[in-house]
Amino acid sequence: MRNIKRGFWLAVFIIFGAWLNYLMPQQDIVRIVHTENKLQYVAGLQSLFYADVETGPNQDSTGRDLRLIATVRKASYLFGLIDAGTETMVYRNEDTGWIYPPYFKFDSADLHAEAAAASSTTEPYNWMVLTHYGWRIPFITVYPNAVAIRPAPNEDYRPFPWLNLIILSLLLAGALFVRAMWRQFRERTLARFRS
Amino acid sequence: MAFVKLVVFGFLALSVVYLCISLYSRSVRREKLEDEWDETRPNVTTDDARETFIAEGMELYENGMRRKLILLVFVVPPIVVMTIIFFVN
Repeated sequence: MRNIKRGFWLAVFIIFGAWLNYLMPQQDIVRIVHTENKLQYVAGLQSLFYADVETGPNQDSTGRDLRLIATVRKASYLFGLIDAGTETMVYRNEDTGWIYPPYFKFDSADLHAEAAAASSTTEPYNWMVLTHYGWRIPFITVYPNAVAIRPAPNEDYRPFPWLNLIILSLLLAGALFVRAMWRQFRERTLARFRS
Repeated sequence: MAFVKLVVFGFLALSVVYLCISLYSRSVRREKLEDEWDETRPNVTTDDARETFIAEGMELYENGMRRKLILLVFVVPPIVVMTIIFFVN
């Protein structure tokens, strides 16, 4: 029984952690090499990751025009602690709309123009900080979604994730508050029925 | 349509949160009043006096500022959403 309980909480922890890892904003140092549009059909497992059909202009169609930003980015391991040279990465640039994920992004057309304006294929390279969420999953054609770009002060700039720190602190505070509420409820209300 | 969905379901969710917090806050206040009575007047054993003391304290709480502050539950999230919209777009 005890092991089952432990396993349950471990599973909850892992799933919630993975979900946060997918959802939280991350900042990459990139240079943009190419921006393009392609027709993308979204079906099955993919629809977990793409925006709701209602969000886009393609409500009557299973296919959608997907904006893509192809980049070369600074790769790293262990949350940016170990440098690993550069690698290519393709981001999608899609509105999130009003519901999920709660980025309330409506300006993908403007972001695409900014990305095109910042593209840099010859030295000296024009390094940008690209904020995004999501995962690249090649097997089912899923790309992380770009949310914003801004110029990086220099090539070795590594932004500190202040926003993530704040969000995680608030989540922790919320969890502790819910626990306090539950304990109060158990102590004052449930105990009365038990005795 | 998605916006309407957000407003309706967001309001429902916040109402549940509001209800939980106000129940919790009231319960904590009552517990504090009980503890205060038991600590300061351990020799007074009539239940009536204790009940009156707690009822009076609870009435102060029901009309107090702290209870109204819980309404901020409905104010803060829309402000957060508007801030996100401003900074993302």
